[in-house]
Amino acid sequence: MAVNKQNHKSSSRLKLLLEKRHIWFAMLSIAAVLAVYPFVVMSSSSSAPEIVPPGGSHNGENVEQPIEFPHNTHVKDNGINCMYCHTYARRSKVAGIPPTSKCMGCHKVIATDKPRIQKLTEYWEQKSPPPWKKVHDVPDFVHFTHEKHLKRFVFDQDFPVENVKEVCAFCHGDVENMTVAHKVKPLNMGWCKTCHINNGGPGDCWACHK
Amino acid sequence: MSLENLLGNWSQYRKGHEEGGFHDYKHLWGMAIDLDICIGCNACATACYAENNLAVVGKERFEKGQAMHWLRLERYWDQNELDHPAQGASFLPMMCQQCDAATCEPVCPVAATYHTPDGLNAQVYNRCIGSRYCSNNCPYRNRYFNFYSYYEDSWPEPLNMQLNPDLTVRDKGVMEKCTFCVQRIRVAKDNAKMENRPVADGEAMTACAQACPTNAIVFGDYMDKDSQVAKLWKKHQVKLRLTKQNKENPELRGYRIFEELNVDPSVMYLERVREEV
Repeated sequence: MAVNKQNHKSSSRLKLLLEKRHIWFAMLSIAAVLAVYPFVVMSSSSSAPEIVPPGGSHNGENVEQPIEFPHNTHVKDNGINCMYCHTYARRSKVAGIPPTSKCMGCHKVIATDKPRIQKLTEYWEQKSPPPWKKVHDVPDFVHFTHEKHLKRFVFDQDFPVENVKEVCAFCHGDVENMTVAHKVKPLNMGWCKTCHINNGGPGDCWACHK
Repeated sequence: MSLENLLGNWSQYRKGHEEGGFHDYKHLWGMAIDLDICIGCNACATACYAENNLAVVGKERFEKGQAMHWLRLERYWDQNELDHPAQGASFLPMMCQQCDAATCEPVCPVAATYHTPDGLNAQVYNRCIGSRYCSNNCPYRNRYFNFYSYYEDSWPEPLNMQLNPDLTVRDKGVMEKCTFCVQRIRVAKDNAKMENRPVADGEAMTACAQACPTNAIVFGDYMDKDSQVAKLWKKHQVKLRLTKQNKENPELRGYRIFEELNVDPSVMYLERVREEV
């Protein structure tokens, strides 16, 4: 009797274990996923960061400029680099408006018969710069530097500088097909922040807010 | 990503405050102020007014306690029983102590004040709704509220041309405080990053430290062990993240104000030495 009882007990234990086998399997598989998951995440984040250009669009009003400056003629037709005129972009906070002398460097001889160039020459002779209006203006409480963005997206990436207009287009839109530039990206905080998340920019409030 | 958080090293958050807490700073801006060489000239306060667009509120409002001085010079009398010249005036420049466990931060209902990765107590003016909880919770009384719009009174034309463009001019209903001249820190960090190098000691300098004629105020990065600040803290055996300093040599002058409150200030003061007559 005693032996029988023992047998009965052990067989029921085995049965219980067998019944629980699916639980073991589930636990093992969860453990396996847990063990592998960090490697998957790490390997995906350690690969070379891909640049995700900011999306979004904005229908900015056309800004009336003193001279209707044709960006398309300069950039698209004549292939002038953005940073030939906006020189300070790579070394300061602001991209800069070129001095009138830079315009006159070419336009003393080129297209002098056009009315826009004649207007420019008038400004040049009066020794007063054309009162250009700012198109891409962020609020005064925002700290934005062109140089760091160019470093991140152009110089650190070994991006060919002659194609820099593609990087400028992230925030300024397709300027090579515009005459007078107008705002085509929202330039608001959510838009900046999305790009900072996608491309590893700082997330600290005081990195941009001042 | 939540699973990643779950698998992260949680033991770092279980460290007590005295073991360093959970902060993982790249920079930790700190200060050392030697009260023995401070002559109480107020140059630091003046420099702060000029640098940080601080409003001049006028005598009446000053008396009501509405002054906007981010850095004030506190005056104490060491020998009060004596008459004026011999009274023994001593001075203490008091600015935001940029506490590591700041009491102002957790009480903000809109998270306008928060801790930056540099160990600063930041104030985001755009987010501030002016509840003034932070000011009430600051043991040092170093937060200042804009009860009025001071722009036109304080900088009538053409004085508005003297405003610092690196800083917002705060308007009515916003709390403000010493930022350790974050605009200068930002420039130093930007320059260092453009040249792919770490920020050098002395590159980021607050206006008060720059203006001090006796170099009583020393500002720098506490994490940089070769910086002047870190050396001074070490020399005077003052450590961060302690509520009571255990100095081997109790004669050393370094101390932190209100550290017993467990707020962990980033400013160390060096006691004034007086010769007994």
